[in-house]
Amino acid sequence: MKFKIIFSFLGVILILFIGIPVIKILFSTDLPKLVETTLEPEVYSSIILTLRASLWATMAALLTGIPLAYLLARKQFKGKKILEGLIDLPVIIPHTAAGIALLEVWGRHSLFSKISGAQIIGTEIAISIGMFFVSVPFLVNAVKSGFKLIDEKYEKTAITLGASKWKAFFSVSLPMVKKSIFSGSIMMWGRGISEFGAVVILAYHPMTASVLIFERFQNFGLKYALPVTVLLILISLVVFVFMRIFEDK
Amino acid sequence: MSIELKGINKGFGNFELSGIDLKIDTGDFFVILGPSGAGKTLILEIIAGLIKPDRGMVTGIDTGKIGLIYQDFWLFPHLNVFNNIAYGLKIRKWEKKEMSKTVTEVALKLDITHLLNRKIDHLSGGEKQRVAIARAMAISPEVYLFDEPTSSLDRNLRLKTRKIFMDLHRDTDSTFIHVTHDFEEALSLADRLAILLKGRIVQCGKPDEVFNHPKNKEVADFLGYRNVFGGVVEDHFIQLEKLSIQVPLLKAAFAYIAIRSDDIIISRSRIDSSARNSFCGRVENIFKKSTVVEVVLDIGEMLVVEITRKSSEEMDIKCGENLWATFKVSAIKVFKH
Repeated sequence: MKFKIIFSFLGVILILFIGIPVIKILFSTDLPKLVETTLEPEVYSSIILTLRASLWATMAALLTGIPLAYLLARKQFKGKKILEGLIDLPVIIPHTAAGIALLEVWGRHSLFSKISGAQIIGTEIAISIGMFFVSVPFLVNAVKSGFKLIDEKYEKTAITLGASKWKAFFSVSLPMVKKSIFSGSIMMWGRGISEFGAVVILAYHPMTASVLIFERFQNFGLKYALPVTVLLILISLVVFVFMRIFEDK
Repeated sequence: MSIELKGINKGFGNFELSGIDLKIDTGDFFVILGPSGAGKTLILEIIAGLIKPDRGMVTGIDTGKIGLIYQDFWLFPHLNVFNNIAYGLKIRKWEKKEMSKTVTEVALKLDITHLLNRKIDHLSGGEKQRVAIARAMAISPEVYLFDEPTSSLDRNLRLKTRKIFMDLHRDTDSTFIHVTHDFEEALSLADRLAILLKGRIVQCGKPDEVFNHPKNKEVADFLGYRNVFGGVVEDHFIQLEKLSIQVPLLKAAFAYIAIRSDDIIISRSRIDSSARNSFCGRVENIFKKSTVVEVVLDIGEMLVVEITRKSSEEMDIKCGENLWATFKVSAIKVFKH
């Protein structure tokens, strides 16, 4: 009994630490003000842009991250640890630093720009690139752990039953890690939505929600930034609670 | 036709399969018997074409027509029982109707029709195993490969499964290659068997042949021969530290002998018989097993004698008493190494 009480107590401390600011901020603004804010074109378009840009990033990560996660989980090769460290790097470095590093590769004077002639800085693509960079480790690591839990013998069995390596992957391994893929995608999408540092360097405009909050706070003060903040938290909370419920089904 | 393994070598971490040569006749029930870590699964995966050997080759097998059943079954947890069994047929793009018919037929044979809509994680060990067999059977393989398919089951289910294998072998023309560490299983199933020790095939032949005539000390040890001794042989006698035993060999600088524990007779007084070896010793230990009793007799070497429970009760043997052990020269196997 004591065990349960102490554990619950410690857990409650953590929940309060996260919960109090969230609840406090949710009640810091009234409903009419919230509705009014939502209807501001600048606000709703920035929120939609944020959700969408992060979705593009997550989709791109699914295409490239799942194969990589599979290889990292299954194959042993030289330099694998270095590669795994590299994948984790975006989580560790300051995101403004990440933004600057990305600017070097995708910016106006980069090789990419010179060769393609395209300018992507200050576009939705740049936002997605920033989000992708800082949040892709969440997806790759989640899917990698998923694949690690699945014995290779499942695929071998499928192959003896006549499946090709591709077929075995798509009909056996992939469906078996769908939970990891789903939760990794949610984590990545969520992390992308919240990104500020890298995005603000790659694209101040069009404004994502986090940049909008920053701008309003900077230029007009706390009171003006609050309704947008509440809105973003509310949307994130609803989406993620819904996703968690859906995840178990 | 036969399946042949020719000069197979394969390194795997610290382990190595080396110089594997085997010929398995079509339609045979062939058992590869060896302790865990001997490389049994690796051989099966090489035969199945899942792993390429470093050297050597496998001929006479169409890897598109095999059914491999692993010890842990590896049923696909995201598919129900029906779809697990149908997996190979779906890959072959069978029509729904045909597929359904075949799955039902196979399920009927294995008495699992009531499970077809179940999820895999709701099955018992025995049920899982039958589903795994059904999944392999559905594609009518030319060769069945079994990787210790009974070792995760309790004794009762093991015996039932053996029966399933025997029936399946009788009803099809397929070749069966079965790896196990269980002698009893090997004896009851095998047409022919091979002993695999530390990555090498040490002996191959009919089960009785191998069990009664182990080729060397290693095999004798593995097959559970309890009385294995080494010494110099001179003039038909092997010289052990404290005694000499008459053996079916004239002379050798060094040799091992093995005496099966059930080939020795024990008695309270010396038996006057044609058996050339008779020794008196003290009873050191008595071990009661499920059907037999092992008596350990100190005749200068510790000699293990196996008698039935009935004789043990009738003789009422006690630790510390002196008994005679008698065995024929012809009951002794001699190995040079």
